[in-house]
Amino acid sequence: MPGSYRVINYALRPAKAIERRMLCAAFERLHPFQRVQEYRYIGFGSIYFSDFQLVHRSLGISDMLSIEKDVSAKECFRFNRPYRCIRLQFANSAETLPAINWRRRSIVWLDNDDRLNTEILGDLATVCLRAKSGSLLVVTVNAQPDAEPAKEIRDEYQQQTGSPFDLADYRLRIIKELLGEKLPAGTTGADLRGQDVARVFRDVINNVIEEQVSLRNMTLPEEEKIRYKQLFHFRYKDGAQMVTVGGMLHRSSDEDKFNACGFNTLPFIRNGNEPCNVKAPCLTPKEIRHLNSQLPKKGSSRKLKVPGVPIADVERYAEVYRYFPSFSEVLFS
Amino acid sequence: MPTNPPAGEDVIINASPTKEFFIHMLTRDIPLTRAILDLVDNSVDGARRLRPNGKFDGLWVRIDFTPDQFRIVDNCGGIPIDIARDYAFRFGRPKEAKGTPGSMGQFGVGMKRTFFRLGRHFLVKSATTKSRFTVDEDVDKWLADTDTPDNWHFTFNELETGLSNKEENTGTVIEVDRLLSNVKETFALENFKTRLVEELSHAHAMTLNSELAITLNGLPIHHDPQQLFVSKTLKPAFLEKSYSSQVLAGHRGPPVRVKLYAGVSERSLHDGGWYIFCNGRLVLRADQTTTTVWGDRHQMRAYHPDFAFFRGYAYFDSDDGALLPWTTTKTGVDADSPIYKAVQHEMIEMTKPVLAFLSNLAKERGVDGKQHPLEDAINTARPTQVQAVTRPSIFTAPPPAPLPTGPRMQRIQYDKPVTEVEKAKQLLKVRSFTAVGERTFDYFMKYEGEEKD
Repeated sequence: MPGSYRVINYALRPAKAIERRMLCAAFERLHPFQRVQEYRYIGFGSIYFSDFQLVHRSLGISDMLSIEKDVSAKECFRFNRPYRCIRLQFANSAETLPAINWRRRSIVWLDNDDRLNTEILGDLATVCLRAKSGSLLVVTVNAQPDAEPAKEIRDEYQQQTGSPFDLADYRLRIIKELLGEKLPAGTTGADLRGQDVARVFRDVINNVIEEQVSLRNMTLPEEEKIRYKQLFHFRYKDGAQMVTVGGMLHRSSDEDKFNACGFNTLPFIRNGNEPCNVKAPCLTPKEIRHLNSQLPKKGSSRKLKVPGVPIADVERYAEVYRYFPSFSEVLFS
Repeated sequence: MPTNPPAGEDVIINASPTKEFFIHMLTRDIPLTRAILDLVDNSVDGARRLRPNGKFDGLWVRIDFTPDQFRIVDNCGGIPIDIARDYAFRFGRPKEAKGTPGSMGQFGVGMKRTFFRLGRHFLVKSATTKSRFTVDEDVDKWLADTDTPDNWHFTFNELETGLSNKEENTGTVIEVDRLLSNVKETFALENFKTRLVEELSHAHAMTLNSELAITLNGLPIHHDPQQLFVSKTLKPAFLEKSYSSQVLAGHRGPPVRVKLYAGVSERSLHDGGWYIFCNGRLVLRADQTTTTVWGDRHQMRAYHPDFAFFRGYAYFDSDDGALLPWTTTKTGVDADSPIYKAVQHEMIEMTKPVLAFLSNLAKERGVDGKQHPLEDAINTARPTQVQAVTRPSIFTAPPPAPLPTGPRMQRIQYDKPVTEVEKAKQLLKVRSFTAVGERTFDYFMKYEGEEKD
């Protein structure tokens, strides 16, 4: 089966593109720790390397590592690498991350297509135990709830459990399989509908990060103890429901530097369970230009106007316009 | 040359423990979750004193913790003064002390060990129908009292006897604060709470089944009942035995009653194995090692994914808990105890027919026979609580299907590039890879295989 990179063109997912640009706008704020271009960027570039292109072009970061688990198409990945400075590591992240030299401050974006599972939690654990103070950790996972399965699967369920099919219990079993004992106590199948999977996943990610940080701190003196501050909590849906969670790991003695970054002045920063819902309204280039000419808004007095576009879409656009991608057909010659 | 024996003070080597040493040794081997379970055991023992019939509906235990305080409250009848004085607050258990028949607390360490494991100040308030007391102890002061090194006493701050409380006003409140720094940090973790919920639900599955309501920070603890599959053709094994105290311990006393169940349940690699309960407390969960029945040591096969359907439940009960094969932390069995050795043989013998059935099931799944009597037996069975099985029985299962008649068969497996296999599939006009393999083999045999005749 081909990787998801052949099914979806990553560059054309508008909400994802907005999220990527928002993250990049936050990465720019890291300079109180050190010059941003001296950070290392670690990600899963796939064959499109969209995040790598953006991070290199807008931040000037050139120490870049793309981890690629598909070892069967090395040539393809190498060919598509947009810049020479991107190193490719062909292995599982669980194999690569522990072997990295973590002495450099890093921006790590574990941008998965899979649902949250113990392997991804293991990757988080590694970064939490190793990352240098001032590093950013971001993780994206699929949080699409399970649909009612086909009849064969319902029958199989009935045979295995000896009880009639129950969607809530079926969902709970699958999530238990994925998360094992990290599934929060008291989670029921009714908690795994719609956006709830994203909520549960965010909690699990947070709990694991806190647990790992606490383990790391056990043997550290007070001023070296690591703190985790959540900065990112995005939800978006280009196709499947996705959730992104992340934040900074810094020493308690680096608190001033963290504050100097001023992350909280960025409108998409979220420190708790409330997500930033990224939605990309469908607008024509002309509508976009027209709206742009009225933005940024001065106070709330003036209403944005564009003929025939629902007001909800206009407002949505105003929230994300600085990060809005423009797609167009181009003929390369 | 004869030496004079030393005299006077010189003879004495001081081997009495210091309090610090004692606390250090006492607390170092117990995981935090287990220390908390020990306090729940005390509440359960209260419930047993109150309701010897084992029906606990209406009784509850509420555990709450924050990084600053640990608190457990119950309405399970309170701690009687004599138990508090002779046992609950005392290190070790005097031989003559009468405990609660069939109790979970057994070694005279539980409650104190938990206090020391958690923090440096504790408060216990308890009321029974006849009495009430308060103990409020500052552990640092207790430790610092070196003027009287022999003073290991705690004192009642309040003590009233001869009361006539209503039963609904009885119960115990325990609070521990000035928590140790590692405890504080752990209590702040959501994942610790999740782990504790899991351990509570396992360890106290039987008590929860008797409708004692346990909550942790407001969250009700649920349990998975111990179930085995039962149908007309599939029945678990059940064996009940009693072992006399005379034989086990060399003195007269209450016997040990043992109930063993073995059979199949829902396939689960992690949950398959033996479960051992002592006086209602789970001490070994889903064991897949030589500790119970698995492996060469017992002339048995090692645990294997084919056996993931297997469940065995062993219940040891006695009014004299000292006879039961548990360890002080209640995290395993004392495999050397006579009672356990005796019962282990029975467990092994009960396991054998179930494993034979499961091996046959795996074989049945491996061949493409028309009949699947074993698989059908599992698929049509219904989960049944083991407590509902009351008559001794041996494991019953349908016989395996006769081996397919005809020549002995051999499976062949090989890998070929997908594009070529797909092409062959098209050329052969078949829909499965199995058919591709069979038809290409037939094709070869048709042209090359009959030369010898």
